[in-house]
Amino acid sequence: MVDRQINDRQINRRVDDTMLIREAQRGNRAAFEELVRHYDQAVLRLALHLTGTEHDAQDVYQDAFLKAYKNIGSFRFECSFYTWIYRIVTNLCLDHLRKRSVRKEDAPVAKDSDGGEYDLLDQVADIRAGANPERDLMRRQLGSRIAGALEKLTPRERMVFELKHYHGLKLRTVGEILHTTEETAKNTLFRATQKLRGQLSDMR
Amino acid sequence: MKCEWIRENIVLHVYGELADDTRHELEQHVSRCGDCAAELKAEQDFHALLSQDRAAEPTPNLLAASRMRLQEALETAPQGSWWSRLAFDPANWLRQVRFSPALASVILILGFAGGVGTTYKIYGSRTVPAGGITATNNTPAVPAEASISGISSVTPIAGTDQVTIKYNTVSTEEAQGSLGDQKIQQLLLYAARNNYNSGVRVDSVDLLAQRTGDLQVREALVYALQNDTNPGVRLKSLGALGQYVKDDTNVRDAVLRALLNDSNQGVRIEALRLIEPVKADGSVRGVLMALAAKDQSQYIKSQARTLLAQLPEID
Repeated sequence: MVDRQINDRQINRRVDDTMLIREAQRGNRAAFEELVRHYDQAVLRLALHLTGTEHDAQDVYQDAFLKAYKNIGSFRFECSFYTWIYRIVTNLCLDHLRKRSVRKEDAPVAKDSDGGEYDLLDQVADIRAGANPERDLMRRQLGSRIAGALEKLTPRERMVFELKHYHGLKLRTVGEILHTTEETAKNTLFRATQKLRGQLSDMR
Repeated sequence: MKCEWIRENIVLHVYGELADDTRHELEQHVSRCGDCAAELKAEQDFHALLSQDRAAEPTPNLLAASRMRLQEALETAPQGSWWSRLAFDPANWLRQVRFSPALASVILILGFAGGVGTTYKIYGSRTVPAGGITATNNTPAVPAEASISGISSVTPIAGTDQVTIKYNTVSTEEAQGSLGDQKIQQLLLYAARNNYNSGVRVDSVDLLAQRTGDLQVREALVYALQNDTNPGVRLKSLGALGQYVKDDTNVRDAVLRALLNDSNQGVRIEALRLIEPVKADGSVRGVLMALAAKDQSQYIKSQARTLLAQLPEID
């Protein structure tokens, strides 16, 4: 019953999206802005985790949706809008990761709008009730180690792992987004996990 | 070989990506092989360790700031021309044909069958009397004029007094049910967005206002607030959304946009009244400052100043 309700909701959302896309293709900016609202939280979350800074995440967000706006006329409903927008965002994030791996920046350190540095992990609110400082410290240390290990993956391994582990996407969807096969996505996930296990072997 | 295959698939097993038969095979093997069982345990522990670290959610302020920045950029951004969709793209066309020959054939056959069927039906049902085309009076199979939504083609058949007319028909259907009925809700959502009659839109929004707990309904009301050409519909949507200004950032943003851009003074004044409980919010404060500085309406300008004066100073 619940599954059916979720399924119905997904179908309704798709129908809704289709109407908004067609409106946006006719030049209705308000329809495009509503479409943005269906996806922008997930896009910003992905960009924030991958780039590590609010400033860069905002840039990726802005570039992705402007690109989508400019190209919405050529969207032909061959894939879902979800896949299409994720494809744009992941391409921008991959470019960002490639540039950063050349610059060899430190991952967990972020810059705020004034240029000052802070630890990104400090920005994560602890939503668990009754969290104690010791556990909180351990969690931050763990987060910091994981972020360091993620930085050592190749941009593509990082992207596959991010979409699977943190965003819970099916590997078939990951393959579609990254213009590759499900099999390749599986191999990439395997490689990424092996590397991470190696990096974090002392934490188990 | 078997153990190697198992180890390559353990990660996929942990992430729930294995097909049912493969999963069964893996579980059978692990129950017999100590090394692979240990490997599975290690992978599960590692997965649990990683799962303690979650991706940070963007803060509402970051999301609101990103949206406002995007909106500003969209105002000047050129959109790809709509006709680019219609432009013939040979590569794409070939790819579609290659991947869906069966579908293309079915569409072609249905097209022919539909065309032949329609023509046959009209031929069969009507006999045009000699001397004029007054067929509607003599052919009960042809629908009443009111149900003809358009004539798509009129083709005389050479050498005879026959004529082929293709027409589209519409028929009115009625649905009755409670507001909780999904079909009724879908019809109301459709009416709120698409109906040409603003009276119907007002009625639909009025009924949807009783179901604002449903996210989809709320989205439709936000859409109406932003896009409906009738100020009465926008005002009703605004009234229905009022209670969510505090908790739903989408609603809050929509109300702020109405406050800034709506062409109707009444809608703007109502929007201003609704944002009062969240006047301390950063984005609301920004909008209030803009209104207080240079709004065309003296009333809104003074109200914005009053609300700002009630806020504590920020150093």
